[in-house]
Amino acid sequence: MTGLRIDGLRRALEGVMASVLATCDADGIPNVSMISQVHYVDPEHVALSYQFFNKTRRNVMATRRAIVLVTDPETLEHFRLSLSYEETQIGGPLFEGMKAKLAGIASHHGVEDVFRLLGADIYRVQSIEAVPGPVVLPVANRPSLLAATRRTCSALDGCADLEELLDCVTACLERDFGISWSMVLMAGAEAGRLYTVASHGYPHTGVGAEVALGEGVIGVAARENAPIRIGHMTREYRYGAAISDAARRHGIVCDAPRLIAFPGLEAPRSQIALPITEGGVVVGVLFAEDDEINRFGYEEEDALALVAGHVGARMSLLRQDAADEVAGDATAPVAASGQVTLRYFRLDQSVFLENEYLIKGVAGAILWRLLCEHRATGRTEFTTRELRLDPALRLPAHAENLDARLILLRKRLEERSACLRIEKAGRGRFRLVAACRVALEEPDAGEVAV
Amino acid sequence: MPTAISHAQLPGDLVALAQGGCGVSIASGDDNGAPVVGLGVGCRIMPGSVVRVLLGQAANAAVLLAVELQRPVAVTFTATRDHSSFQVKASHARICPACSDDLPEMDRQSVLFQDGLVEIGYSRVQAAGYCAYDPADLVALELTPERVFTQTPGPGAGAELPR
Repeated sequence: MTGLRIDGLRRALEGVMASVLATCDADGIPNVSMISQVHYVDPEHVALSYQFFNKTRRNVMATRRAIVLVTDPETLEHFRLSLSYEETQIGGPLFEGMKAKLAGIASHHGVEDVFRLLGADIYRVQSIEAVPGPVVLPVANRPSLLAATRRTCSALDGCADLEELLDCVTACLERDFGISWSMVLMAGAEAGRLYTVASHGYPHTGVGAEVALGEGVIGVAARENAPIRIGHMTREYRYGAAISDAARRHGIVCDAPRLIAFPGLEAPRSQIALPITEGGVVVGVLFAEDDEINRFGYEEEDALALVAGHVGARMSLLRQDAADEVAGDATAPVAASGQVTLRYFRLDQSVFLENEYLIKGVAGAILWRLLCEHRATGRTEFTTRELRLDPALRLPAHAENLDARLILLRKRLEERSACLRIEKAGRGRFRLVAACRVALEEPDAGEVAV
Repeated sequence: MPTAISHAQLPGDLVALAQGGCGVSIASGDDNGAPVVGLGVGCRIMPGSVVRVLLGQAANAAVLLAVELQRPVAVTFTATRDHSSFQVKASHARICPACSDDLPEMDRQSVLFQDGLVEIGYSRVQAAGYCAYDPADLVALELTPERVFTQTPGPGAGAELPR
């Protein structure tokens, strides 16, 4: 390897300027074509997209050699990378990352139906040559991503509970990184779903909005446990209208009254999703988007991956802190004035407040349980621990997301400005506040066995 | 018995594409059969479908060396606006000095190429930087296409044009 390193050339691998790939066949006859993507893999490897079984592909299979010319979109420097083919991947995180980027690039160039990734061809970089030529000086006053990451992580360290942590991270993305639109989604107890628990910058919060595993950059990032980003708008990775279709494809009962609209931008041009993990398991996704093309590059991906990693570590610590709390014995009489009707459907654990959809799934079941107990005993204070241990709630063995469910429930109630509220009452404790009488109805109680 | 080489005639639309301010990529191979790659500044199609590619010497030393060694050459022309593209191949090429006729034509094509880049979303600075060249550094590479292929992305990509 020469003095140049791939890590220093990553801006040239964003696909902003098309790259040029040359190969030779076994007889030495050359072939040259423009290619859309040279993907950074690690300090010694890049990957090229295999889309067609064309002359380039045949040459590579025959000789295992290629050379690619890439261009830095800022300095306009050209670099030649001599490559040695190693393997082709047809699935997994690297493949999915390239597939998403390719979809964005193809859409940008109006060839969405033509480009389809068949494989990620992995090459070892044998040498790098800087091509002599005029160079534009890079912008000197670019903000430091490392400093921004440090400030954000420091702010996250000061958060006392999960809700504060999740709201803090999206706020910090704006404050420290200038990212105006972001959200956090958590992996649900229901297989294959993620739901929004915090958002920043959108006209409506979209708390509770769901994304299917594998849907859009968020769903793919969660499924693959890998960062996924797109630098151009593409319908293939859009949310919104596609959500109910995706739900039906997955066989999930998700009819319109029980949907909360995804809060994302109408026409995003850049999107990035980073898995939040605990012990290597995906528990959520940090998502950001922008209306600018190519807003998130390799450097932003690395910085935000560190932030997402820190969120996962802090979540784990906060849960340990809250694990051993016990409930107080606070009770309150049922409120005398006013009344709302709350209906609970066992089928999907959905809750409707005054005929308007509120929440479903585990969060719905929690609210129903709290209200039933409050009606029976007047009790108002509860712990997350007792909910975890309650078999009626049908929580999975590792109920990692209970805290997130409570945040979701609390925010949904707050958004509705209902007479019902859930307030924090200390670590691992929360309080149900009912400012009016709540009539409880369970229309399908006799139809579905719990 | 001498081998008959049939030279491909370039259709009018490809001549227009090649001279209309497009991306020009050049490849050849070194003595070890490894590919070499370079970028051209522009192209003139001369009588007899001779393709005259102008390129910077300093940036394309490996390509020029391969041409001097009589290695086969491939050149691809790509239009910015619609990504239409074609490739010509020849068993050899020759290097000639740039002449006074070349420079105004390269200037014209460069302006068209830059406009095309801006049209598809690049900044004016990016377009100008990408197309920048030193007239004193230019050299010409002349080849007579023996085979011509469509390169436009899609099902027909790689198809050879009839000779």
